[in-house]
Amino acid sequence: MKIFHERRMLIGLLSLCALYLLAGLLPPRQATSFDVNGFAQLPVLHGGRIKPLDTVARTSLLMLSGKQTVLSEGHSLSAIDWLMEVMFRPALAAEFPVFEINDPDVLGSLEIRQTKQRRFSWMQIETKLEDIGRQAMQAEQAKPENRSRFQSAVVNLGQRVLLYQRLLNSLQISGIENMVSTLDDFDARIVPPMRRAMTRHAAGKAVDPAILHELEHYHLMDQSSEFAPLPLFRQMGLSRTWINMGRGIVNRLNTEEHHPGVIAYAVMSDAWRLNDSSSFNRALAGYQGWLKDLLPHVVTKSQYEFTFNAFEPFYRSLILYLIVFLLVLGSWMRGPAFFNRAAFSLLTMTFIVHTIGLISRMILQGRPPVTNLYSSAIFVGWVAVLLGIVLERIHRNGIGSMVSGFIGFVTLIIAHHLATSGDTLEMMRAVLDSNFWLATHVVTITIGYGSTFLAGTLALVYFFRRWFDRRWTPELARTFEQMAFGIVCFSTLFSFVGTILGGIWADQSWGRFWGWDPKENGALMIVLWNVFILHARWGGYAAGENLMLLAIGGNIITALSWFGVNMLGIGLHSYGFMDKAFVWLVLFVISQISVIAAAVWTRPTPR
Amino acid sequence: MTLNLKRLLYRFASVKYTLVFMALAMILVLIGTLAQVQLGTYEAQKKYFDSWWVFTGVGQWDIPVFPGGLTIGLAWLLNLIVSFITRFRPVRKDMGIFISHAGLILLLLGQFLTQLLAKESQMPLRVGETGHYSQDFRSMELVLVDTSDPKQDQITSVSDKRLMRGGEIQPPGLPFSIVVHRFYRNAELSMKGEGGERIATQGIGPNISVQARLPVSTDEESNNVTAFIEIKEGSKSRGIWLVAAGLGAPQSATVNGVTYELYIRPQRYYYPFTLTLRKFTHELYPGTNIPKNFASLVHLSHPAKNESRETLIYMNNPLRYEGKTFYQASFGENDTLSVLQVVDNPAAITPYLSVILVSLGLLIQFLFHLMAFVRKSA
Repeated sequence: MKIFHERRMLIGLLSLCALYLLAGLLPPRQATSFDVNGFAQLPVLHGGRIKPLDTVARTSLLMLSGKQTVLSEGHSLSAIDWLMEVMFRPALAAEFPVFEINDPDVLGSLEIRQTKQRRFSWMQIETKLEDIGRQAMQAEQAKPENRSRFQSAVVNLGQRVLLYQRLLNSLQISGIENMVSTLDDFDARIVPPMRRAMTRHAAGKAVDPAILHELEHYHLMDQSSEFAPLPLFRQMGLSRTWINMGRGIVNRLNTEEHHPGVIAYAVMSDAWRLNDSSSFNRALAGYQGWLKDLLPHVVTKSQYEFTFNAFEPFYRSLILYLIVFLLVLGSWMRGPAFFNRAAFSLLTMTFIVHTIGLISRMILQGRPPVTNLYSSAIFVGWVAVLLGIVLERIHRNGIGSMVSGFIGFVTLIIAHHLATSGDTLEMMRAVLDSNFWLATHVVTITIGYGSTFLAGTLALVYFFRRWFDRRWTPELARTFEQMAFGIVCFSTLFSFVGTILGGIWADQSWGRFWGWDPKENGALMIVLWNVFILHARWGGYAAGENLMLLAIGGNIITALSWFGVNMLGIGLHSYGFMDKAFVWLVLFVISQISVIAAAVWTRPTPR
Repeated sequence: MTLNLKRLLYRFASVKYTLVFMALAMILVLIGTLAQVQLGTYEAQKKYFDSWWVFTGVGQWDIPVFPGGLTIGLAWLLNLIVSFITRFRPVRKDMGIFISHAGLILLLLGQFLTQLLAKESQMPLRVGETGHYSQDFRSMELVLVDTSDPKQDQITSVSDKRLMRGGEIQPPGLPFSIVVHRFYRNAELSMKGEGGERIATQGIGPNISVQARLPVSTDEESNNVTAFIEIKEGSKSRGIWLVAAGLGAPQSATVNGVTYELYIRPQRYYYPFTLTLRKFTHELYPGTNIPKNFASLVHLSHPAKNESRETLIYMNNPLRYEGKTFYQASFGENDTLSVLQVVDNPAAITPYLSVILVSLGLLIQFLFHLMAFVRKSA
């Protein structure tokens, strides 16, 4: 009776999880009658690629405040809502606390007393802009690795101020309340004399300096906007395919009418201020239609990215992986096998979502799965979960599900925190711009990382069960050993091949197969560690617990070469994520060493 | 005797030693990597990996404290080869092990050959400029140029390593010898400086004093290799000259009525062909400052082979020609200067073969294990 009851609860739990996943596919709720979701899907050129405004909003807000929403006076604003206020109603947006400032010296120089508050509004720092700019410029003279904490922090704040200013200038000329009539005025007063001047240039007739002065506003806008929202027709005969708003308005001097995007954004801007949702939605729909005729693929891709953003597949997977982990733990504590089966079903479901996220990123970027630290975290988790699923299929004892859930959860948490530095689908710098090598070397080596972590996690679970599980048996210990050894073999293959492929890439790019640089050495350490385990086992030194201890050592080595080498030379002067990451890395290494020490300490004496 | 040797070899081939060498290698890699924070990659590589022993200064003494990369690599390689001979058999069961270790031997041998034989140099070219030699900015040479023949200069060179050893040098084909009085791996020259060395009697040297500086190793800095050399015709001295990489204009010495230009410059490698930089492109992603590609369009001309063609060198796509490889390495001067990295490495092919052998071997071995495991569980 009791078991029957628990079974029903589990089915209920699984259904809830499935609902949670499906709910992510629904479009975000709109608080007003404005078609904000439609606006969020509009494609723009930003950071070298075409993306929806939604992504611009999210990454900008993450860079400014470390979060994807704004909390203001008790209610929360989504990233796109915030961006629209910044661009259309800057005076209102200036009150939102979006600048995260932690450094006490920077706060001091802004004359802000340190309280619990961490995020500050544009209004609070606006009066100090000159000072920030000067300090940041001074600090930038020093090399990044030599900067003091204050210098790094002020450079960082300077960059964020610049980002905010560029966002302010992207769709709107500052201080103008009525864009449509400004454009009409542009047509009526500025276009005719400029046209005349251009055609009669030979006659030497000068243009009224006042008009040239007005044009300066638009040139400024051209130079200081964050993104380019206007695609050009081929007929316009210009080589740049996307232009920003300022350039778009000035282009009117050469064309018969304004770019449809210029008009649409101007109408939407005015309508937003006047709270006139029907004009807003009409202008938006018209512009969407125009874009769809011109660039159907771009629009589809942009919509896809919007859905991907809203779905947050990795965030959802993260939560579900945790539930998987807890379910297996429950099965080990309470016994019934259907806990295990439920965990495995949920694991498979989550893995599918994780995979969809991974593939979506590959489609959006047109690249293999690993292109930066963020995506390596997602891929390390994916590989480990996949291998864990294989182990679970073979052994059906919950161990594979548990380690999958654990690593999936931890790696996605890491990825979540790595995402604050901006767009994670960034462009690849010249030497890295090679899909062939990204697909071979980088993927192989990351598979090596993932599997080495899996072996290490198996070893962790091994010791915790030896300590706390009353049903611990020598047979179970042998199963663990078999699993860990198989995974170590797998990691050896991939880390070795990946490392050599890296050397070959280096040889192809700059003629040096091996340069002993930190990243290469880190990869080499993992290979050496894995082959050390294999040979130690072959020599009879790494049977039983010893193998498990070595596998935990693999966790340390892999973490060091994954993150440690990025921190080399940055040391204690760094700021932001890497600083915090350094603390976590040290804690991780200490935790692994503690487990090793405790395992040696509690080693059962042979009878 | 032969039996004893065999036993000794067999013992050396023990996996115990393999483990010791691996452990030493891991320790070396770890400390060598951490040392890069202080020393920079190039200097750390020389100290830890390209050396037989790692030395540490204790007071005035340099004491070897740890085996260097060459020692560990060689010991491991020997252990591997001996094991390979005495223990490994190309039977079906061990085929994977056999192949993968053969690949590993090839990899280590190849790396040894590379460290011994590979030469790296650079060829900076401005747009329109033609180059027929590349320069190794890390090693300098003293050159003596006989300009008496208007059609062709006679160039004699002495490497900085030879200068460093000091003593009397007899350059082949020259009617005089050179005595090295002082040699500095890096030095600062000044017009009035006090306390510096000032022993030159000829050229511009008498006005300049020299102070020794610690050699630098980062990529942006370069050493001002400096020496005081005496030119001797038999036992007759012609005076002492100051030569330094940092001195721009060449000085001259006249012996037997023949004038020689003297200077220290980066070591040059001359080629029987020329490269002319036609165009340099620096591509950015639209709307950003993120570089997308660097490309040099060069004209390759080899008169002896009747070859004359254009070729494009860009990121991840070097020009391979006559055993040398030309890479797009750097650029400057507002995108009018392109720097090509020239690598001459006869062992470059070994990693390619090795990766195929090792991955094949490991794959066979692990599939073998996996199949055995699956058969057992079934």
